[in-house]
Amino acid sequence: MSYQSSNPLVGETEFALDGPWATYWIAFLRVVTGWWFFHAGITKIIESGFSYSYGSAYMQQMSGTALGGIPVWMGNNLAWLIEPGVPLFETLIGLALMAGAVTRLAAFGGVIFMILFWIGNAGFGNGVVNSDLMGLLMFLTVIVLAAGRYYGLDALIEETAVVKQNPKLRYLLG
Amino acid sequence: MTDTIDTAARALSAGLMLFGIVVLGIVEILAGEPYSPVPITNEAGDVVATPLISPEIRTAFVLAGIAVLGLYAAYRLVTPLPEDDDVRHETMAD
Repeated sequence: MSYQSSNPLVGETEFALDGPWATYWIAFLRVVTGWWFFHAGITKIIESGFSYSYGSAYMQQMSGTALGGIPVWMGNNLAWLIEPGVPLFETLIGLALMAGAVTRLAAFGGVIFMILFWIGNAGFGNGVVNSDLMGLLMFLTVIVLAAGRYYGLDALIEETAVVKQNPKLRYLLG
Repeated sequence: MTDTIDTAARALSAGLMLFGIVVLGIVEILAGEPYSPVPITNEAGDVVATPLISPEIRTAFVLAGIAVLGLYAAYRLVTPLPEDDDVRHETMAD
C-alpha cells in the first residue's frame, strides 16, 4: 500500500478520493447548485420580469447587520441595478454552473448573493450554521475545487489558445 | 467488472437525482404556475393551482438515486478490497 505524506487519510484504508467518484460528485454538486439558482432566477423573470422590487426592499431592511449600512445604501440607491439584476444574475449564475462555463466567476456571484441571504435572512435560531450558510459553502466549494473542469465546458474552454496565452483566465474559469 | 459497476452506479444515481431535480423541474417551469412544488391558494384558502408533477414523485427519484449509492456502498462492503496495483497515491515531487 502506497503512502502519501501530504494526506494522512491515504494509508492502510484506501478511499480513492481523487478517483472518478470525486469528479462525479463535484460535477453533480455543481449542476444541482446551478439548478437551485437558475430556478430561483427564471421563475422571477416569468412572474415579475426584470422588475423584482422585493430585492431592493429586502436590502433596505438589512440594518443592524455585520455588513453595516452597505446593503441599506444599496437598497436605497441601486434599485435600478438590483431589481433587474437579481433575476437576471440568478439565472445566468445558474446556467453557467450547470454548463460548467466561467464557473468560478459565476460561483463568485453566487457567493455575493448567499452572503446577502445569510446575513439578511438572519434565521439564526439554530445557530449561525444554517441552510443559507451551507448554500454559501456550496458556491465556495465549486470555486475551490474548480468544479467546471469536471464534465463542464471550462475543461474545453481552458484548452483554447486564448486561455493558454492568458493563463490567469483560469482563475475565472475552472 | 468493478469499473463497470462503478460507472453504472455513478450514471444511474446521478441520472435519477438530476431527473427528479432538473428535468422534472424544467417540465414544471414549462407547465406554468406553481413554479414551486406547492399548491397555490387564494385568500379564502382554496387551491387554485397544483403542481403538474407531485413533489412525492420528484423526491422519489432523488431518493432512488441515493438508494443506488447505498446499494453500491453495500456492494463494496461485501466484495474484497481491490489490489493496490497502481501508483496513483505515491508522493508527488513538489
